[in-house]
Amino acid sequence: MASFDIQMTVNGRPVKQSVSPHLRLLDFLREELHWTGSKEGCGAGECGSCSVFVDGVLMKSCLMPVAKAQHSEIETIEGLEEQGKLNVLQQAFQKTGASQCGYCIPGMMMAATAALRANPYAGREEIKERLGGNICRCTGYQKMFEATELARDVMNGKLTIELLKEEKEEGPFIGSNSFRIDTSSKVTGALKYAGDMVMPQMLHMQVLRSPYPHAEILELDTSEAEAMAGVEAVVTHRDVQGIDGFGVFTDDQPVLARGKVRYVGDAIAAVAAEDVLTAKEALKKIKVRYRELVAITKTEDAIKTGAVIIHDDVPDNIVMHIPIRKGNVDKGMAEADFVIEETYYTQPVEHAYLEPEAGLAYLDADGTLVIQSPSQNITHHRQKLAKILDMPVNRVRMIMSPVGGGFGGKEDMHYQGILALAVLKSRRPVRYVFTREESIIASAKRHPFSIKYQLGLNREGLIQASKIHMLADAGAYNCSTEGVMRKAAILAAGPYAIENLMVDAIGVYTNNTPSGAMRSFGAMQSQFATECHLDLCAEKLEMDPVELRRKNFFKEGDETHTRQELGSVSMLEVFNSALDLADWETGISNSRGATRSDLAQSGNRPPCTLGARQFPLETIPTGQAA
Amino acid sequence: MNAPLRIFPKQKRGRGVAAGWYGIARTATIDRAGAWAELDDGGTAKIITGVTEIGEGILTVLAQIVADELGIRPKDVTIGDNDTARSPEAAHAGATRQTYMIGNAVALACREARQRLVKELAQKWQVSEDDIICSNGIIRTLDHSQSMTMSEAVQYCKNRGVVPVGSGSFTANHTGLDPENGSGNPWQAYVYGAQVAEVEVDTETGEVQVLGVWASHDVGRAVNPQGVEGQIEGGVVMAVGQTLMEDYKQEEGYPTSMNLAKYILPTSLDVPQVNSVIIEDPDPLSPLGVKGIGEPSMIPTAPAIINAIYDAVGVRIHSLPATPEKVLAALREKRERADTHEMLA
Ligand code: FES
Ligand code: FES
Repeated sequence: MASFDIQMTVNGRPVKQSVSPHLRLLDFLREELHWTGSKEGCGAGECGSCSVFVDGVLMKSCLMPVAKAQHSEIETIEGLEEQGKLNVLQQAFQKTGASQCGYCIPGMMMAATAALRANPYAGREEIKERLGGNICRCTGYQKMFEATELARDVMNGKLTIELLKEEKEEGPFIGSNSFRIDTSSKVTGALKYAGDMVMPQMLHMQVLRSPYPHAEILELDTSEAEAMAGVEAVVTHRDVQGIDGFGVFTDDQPVLARGKVRYVGDAIAAVAAEDVLTAKEALKKIKVRYRELVAITKTEDAIKTGAVIIHDDVPDNIVMHIPIRKGNVDKGMAEADFVIEETYYTQPVEHAYLEPEAGLAYLDADGTLVIQSPSQNITHHRQKLAKILDMPVNRVRMIMSPVGGGFGGKEDMHYQGILALAVLKSRRPVRYVFTREESIIASAKRHPFSIKYQLGLNREGLIQASKIHMLADAGAYNCSTEGVMRKAAILAAGPYAIENLMVDAIGVYTNNTPSGAMRSFGAMQSQFATECHLDLCAEKLEMDPVELRRKNFFKEGDETHTRQELGSVSMLEVFNSALDLADWETGISNSRGATRSDLAQSGNRPPCTLGARQFPLETIPTGQAA
Repeated sequence: MNAPLRIFPKQKRGRGVAAGWYGIARTATIDRAGAWAELDDGGTAKIITGVTEIGEGILTVLAQIVADELGIRPKDVTIGDNDTARSPEAAHAGATRQTYMIGNAVALACREARQRLVKELAQKWQVSEDDIICSNGIIRTLDHSQSMTMSEAVQYCKNRGVVPVGSGSFTANHTGLDPENGSGNPWQAYVYGAQVAEVEVDTETGEVQVLGVWASHDVGRAVNPQGVEGQIEGGVVMAVGQTLMEDYKQEEGYPTSMNLAKYILPTSLDVPQVNSVIIEDPDPLSPLGVKGIGEPSMIPTAPAIINAIYDAVGVRIHSLPATPEKVLAALREKRERADTHEMLA
C-alpha cells in the first residue's frame, strides 16, 4: 500500500510524516509518534479508552482512519497538564482517588474534560451521560463523578483550589486518605503498560488459535510461514525444551497445543515477525490438519459414564471435588420443621480488564530471559517457565508491568510461555499485544455454577441442616479450578452456625473456554445461592429475612463449617450497620415493596432518565446523589 | 402476543439485603510474603518487595504503613516492586491477601531497619531505645531533650558504618482441609460484609435498575478509607454487571460474545449510588491488625439485588443474570399462576 504524507498538530506541536493508509489515528499516535497515553481497550468504539480531541471534538481514535485527521488539531491526555503541573481535573481525580488500574483514565479524563467544556455547569446526571461512552472496570465510576463535579466547582470558583490538596501532611498516615502514589502517572498518561513499551529490534508476535472446541491435530506444518520474508521465528510445542505444562494448581495446559486442542482459542503456534501484519499473514500459511472430536460443553455430560475424556490422565473429567461434612445431615433434615429446596445458576463472566493482555520479552545482555507482562503472579510464573524451558530459575526474570486491571484473570500464564519460546528462537525482543476478541476467547472466565440447595430449619428459624451440591464448569484446563472449588465449598453455607452440613463442590472439564480465578473466587457463586435461599426460607417461615439471618449468624467461639473455632466475629455489627445506613424498615413479608416506607431516600441515584416515562413513579425520589 | 400487565404504575421499587463472609489470604495453605526496607539518604525509605499493584492501591497502602513505621511521610517512600530478579517474593495479587500479607511483611522489615537506626541514636543520646520516637521526619527522645531530622540520623548511622536496613517475612499459618470431611483452619483472619440494595423494576420491559447500595464491611483496619471505598464501589458495580447484564455465551463450545458490543458491561448510567460504611475489627494475630476488602466487597451484592427484585415485583430469579427477558418471563408466569388461581377460586 502506498504511503502518504500526513500533517497535523498534536498537543500543540506540528507533526509531518509519511504514513501507511491502513493506520487508524490511534495507531499513528501510539506506534508512530509514541504518544501512548491513549489506550486501546477494544478497538471497536465500545470502551472510550482511546478518546482524544480532534479539532476540539471528542473522538474515539480507534474508529478514525488517520487520513481523516489530515490538517487537524489533536489533543491527547498528554496535553492536559498545564506547565508541567496537573490541571484542575487531574487534581480532582487525584483528590477523590478516582483512578485505580489507570487504563481507562486517559479516555475518562478526555470525556470528563469534554463534559465540562460542553457545559461548565453540568450536573451529575449530565456528567454521567457524557461519561457514558467510557468503560471503567475498576472504580464503579463513583469517584469519577465526584472528581468531575469537584473540578467543575473549583473551575467555577464555587470551591477553592485548596480543597484539592492532600488532607494530611503530618502522620500518623494509617487511616487517612493519602493520595495514591501512582495517581499522577495515571492521570497524565505517562505510565507505560506492556503494550506501550518498545525496544530496538523488537518483533511482533501473533498466535494461531484453535477454531474447534475439541480436535486432534494430525499435522502441523509451519515451513511455508517460516520461509516468509520478515518472519523471524515460528514456534510450536516442538520448541519446548523442558517439561511442558502450566497451571495454577496442576500443569495441565501446554504452552502450545500438543497433538490436541481443547477449546476454541487454544493456542497452537505463534509467529514473531517484523510487524504485526506480516505475523498475521504468516499465521495463514501455517497448515494444520484436524480431526474433530466430540466436544463436551455441558457439565452434566462431562460426568456421565463413558463420556469423552478431555485430559488423558483424568478419565472421569473431574478436576476437583471438595467435600465438607459435619454432624449428621440426614438426621438434621429429618428433625427440621421445614426443608426447603431450590437450584441456583450462575453464568460465566469475563473479567474485561480494560487492558487486554500484553507482554514484551527479551534477553538481557547476560542471556537471562526477561518477560515483562501484567502478571498477577510473577514468582509462580518464573518457576513454571524455568521448568518448561529447562533453564535455571535465576535465568528467567519476570517483571510485572503496570497491570491495567486483573481481577484474577492475569494469574494464568497463558501467553508468557509463548513469548519466551519466540525470544529464545529469534534471539530478539518480542512483543505480543492481544486484541479484545483474543483476550475474550483465550482467557479464563468466572466459573459458572449450578447449585442444588437444601436447607432444614425449625419453626423458630434456626438452621438445622444444610446440604449444598455444586457443579462447576472448569472448561478446558484446570487453571484455578481446584482453589475455586475449595473456597466455594468452605464459604458456601455462609456466616451461619450450622451443626449438620454436607457440602460438595465439583469442578469438571469441558471443552468450553477455561474457567479460572476471578474476584471472589467461587465464594461469590456459592453465597449467591445461600443468600437468595435464606430469603426464600424466610418467606416460607413467614419471618423477617433480617431476623432469620440474625438468629443464625456466627458468634465468637462458634465452630465454622470446617470446624475452626472463630475468634472475634463482626458479622452482627456489620449487618446492623448496613441496615442502619440504609434506614431499613423491618417487616415480615419479603415482597412488600409496594408498602415500604424506606424507599427512595437519599443514598439512591435517580432512576435513569433515558426514555420517557409513561406513568408517574409511585414514590418520588426525595434525595439525590449528593 | 401477551396481554399487557395489569400492574400500574409500571415501575416498582423494592429492597433486599444479603450478608457474606470471606477468608483473608491463600486458602487452606500456609501463606508468606517477604520485604526489604532501607532508611535511605535524605530521610527517605526504600522498600523492595514483590508486591503486585493491580490497581487496588496496594503501593499507596504500603507507603502509608512505611511512613507510620518509620516516622516519615508517604511521599518519602520509594517502592521497588515486582521483579523476580530484584525483589523478594511476596507472592501473588489475589485472595485479598496483599494488605494483610505484604503490609505486615513490610511493617516487619521497617521495624528491623528502624531498630538499626534507633540503636545508634540511643547510644549517642544515652537513652534506652524505647525512649526514642520517630514521626514526621524527626527522630527525638521522648522528653524532647534531643532530636535531629531523619535525614541527619541516616547520615549519622552511615558515618558510624551502619546502613539502616531490615527485612521482614510474614506468615499466615493456615492448614489444609481433611480430604474426607473438609475440616481444617483455612484462614486465620475472616471478614464479614452486608449490603442492602434498592431496585426499580419496570414491569413492562423487565428492566431492573439498581439505584442504591448500602454496604458495610469489616476490613480489620482501614489504611486508606478512600481506597477501601473504591474497592467497595468497584466490587459492587462488578457484581451489578454480573447480576443484571454480563453473560459470556457459548454455543456448543463456540463463543458468541467475543467483543464489548456483545459482552455488555456496566457504564456510568447503570451504576447505583454506593454508600459505604467501614467497620474495623482488627486482626489480633498480625502486627498491623489489617485484613482486606478487594474480593469480599462483591459477595453480598448479587443476592441483595435478587432479593430486592422479589421485594419489588414478587418474582424470584434463580439464575444469573436477571435480564429483562428473564424478569418478564417470571412476571408473566406469576400472572398466569394468579389467573389460574382466580379461575379456580
Ligand atoms: S473505543 Fe477505541 S479502543 Fe475502545
Ligand atoms: S481504573 Fe478504570 S479500568 Fe481500571
